[in-house]
Amino acid sequence: MIDPPVVLVARPKPKRMRYIVAGGLCAAAVLFLIVGGLSRNIVYFRTVSEGVTAHGKAPDDTGRLRLAGAVLTGSVERRPDGVTFVVTDGTTRARVLHHGDPPELFKDGAPVVCEGHFVKGDRAAVPTFDSDRIMIKHGAEYRPPSVDASK
Amino acid sequence: MRVATGGPGKAAEFWARRGTIVLGGLTVASLAVLVVLGLFVSDPDYQQGDAVRLMYLHVPAAWIAYLAYGVTSLASALYLWKRTRSPAWDTLAGASAEIGVLFTGLTLVLGSLWGRPVWNVWWAWDARVVSTAVLFFLYLGYLALRRVPADPAVRARRSAIAALAAFVDVPVVHFSVEWWRTLHQKGSVFNRELNPTIQGNLAWALLSGVFAFTCLYLYLLERRYQLAVMEEAIEERALEAAIAERRAEADVPPVRVPS
Repeated sequence: MIDPPVVLVARPKPKRMRYIVAGGLCAAAVLFLIVGGLSRNIVYFRTVSEGVTAHGKAPDDTGRLRLAGAVLTGSVERRPDGVTFVVTDGTTRARVLHHGDPPELFKDGAPVVCEGHFVKGDRAAVPTFDSDRIMIKHGAEYRPPSVDASK
Repeated sequence: MRVATGGPGKAAEFWARRGTIVLGGLTVASLAVLVVLGLFVSDPDYQQGDAVRLMYLHVPAAWIAYLAYGVTSLASALYLWKRTRSPAWDTLAGASAEIGVLFTGLTLVLGSLWGRPVWNVWWAWDARVVSTAVLFFLYLGYLALRRVPADPAVRARRSAIAALAAFVDVPVVHFSVEWWRTLHQKGSVFNRELNPTIQGNLAWALLSGVFAFTCLYLYLLERRYQLAVMEEAIEERALEAAIAERRAEADVPPVRVPS
C-alpha cells in the first residue's frame, strides 16, 4: 500500500459566493448613500436670505429645509418647550421657534443650522421658522481661549 | 517562525526584524507623546472646549486613510505597468487597503463621537460625511473582490483596476468641503489659502497625532505585508501538495484483478 503524501495544510475550499455577495452589498451601500442620501442633501443648507426669498415666493409651501445663519446677539428667549431667537446672515433675518433643548454650544452669535419649515402663510418681513433640530456649524479655526482672534 | 540557517538570508532577516522592532518602538513612543500632548499639555479650544481633543485622533485617522489608499493606488499602478509588474505590488496594495478600510472606519466613528457634542448630531447627510462613508464601502468592496477566487494573475489585475477606480473618491472626500455646502468644517491645514487656522499648542498636538499615526501605519503595513507573504506561501505549498497527490495517484499502476 502506498502512503498518501503528508499534506501539512488543508487547501481551503474556495468561498466564491460569500465574497461576491459581500462585494455586491458594498456596491449597494455605495449606491444607497449616493442616491438615497446625497442627492437630496448636496446643498446641505440654505442661507437665511435664500430661505426667506423662497418662502416669500411661495408662502403656503411648508417643505422641510435647513436654514443657516448666526444667532442674533440678544435675541435668545428661553421658553418652557424650547427657545426662540432671530437668525441672520447679515442681510436678512428670520425668527426661529425651536421645540426642544438647544445644543450645548448654542449661544449668542453661534453659527447654527436649523432644520424645520417656515410657518404656513406667514407673510411677515421676518417670517417665523418652525425648527425641531439645531446643529452648530463650526468654523475651521482652533485656538486656545487666550490667543487673540485678530492674530 | 523558523530562521533561515546561515548565509546572507540570516543577516537580512536579522536587519528586517530589527527595523520592525525600531518602527514598533517609535510608534509606541509617539503614541505616548500624543496622549501627553493631546490630553494634558494642549489647551481646550476657545469654542469647543475639551471636545476639540477628538480632532487629534479624527484628523490623523483620515490622513492615514488617504495615505493608505494612495499607497494602494501606486502599488496597483506599478502592478498594471508591464515593466514593473510583480506579484509583490499586488500583495502590498491589498495590505495597505486593509489598513485604509480600518482607518476610514475609525474616521467615521471618531467623527460621529466628535459631532455629537459639537454639531449636536451623530451623523449629517452632508457631502463630506457621505463621501467618506462611500469611501469605506468602496474599499470594503475592493477587499471582498480580492477574495473572490480566481487565477492569481487575473485576480491581481482585476483588483488593481478596481483600486484605481475607487481612488477617484479620495479627492472627492478631500475637496467636498470646498465644492459643496456642508455641515463639516473646511480644512484647517490644507485649506484653499494654505494658511493653517489652528494655533498654539493645539497645532502641536495635531502634528504629533499625524506623526504617531503615520508610524503606526508603516508598522501595521510591514506586519500585514509579511503576513500576506506567509499566507501566500502556505497557499502555494498546499497547491503543490495537492498536485503531488494527484501525480502520485496517476502513477499508481492499475490494480490487477486476480483471475
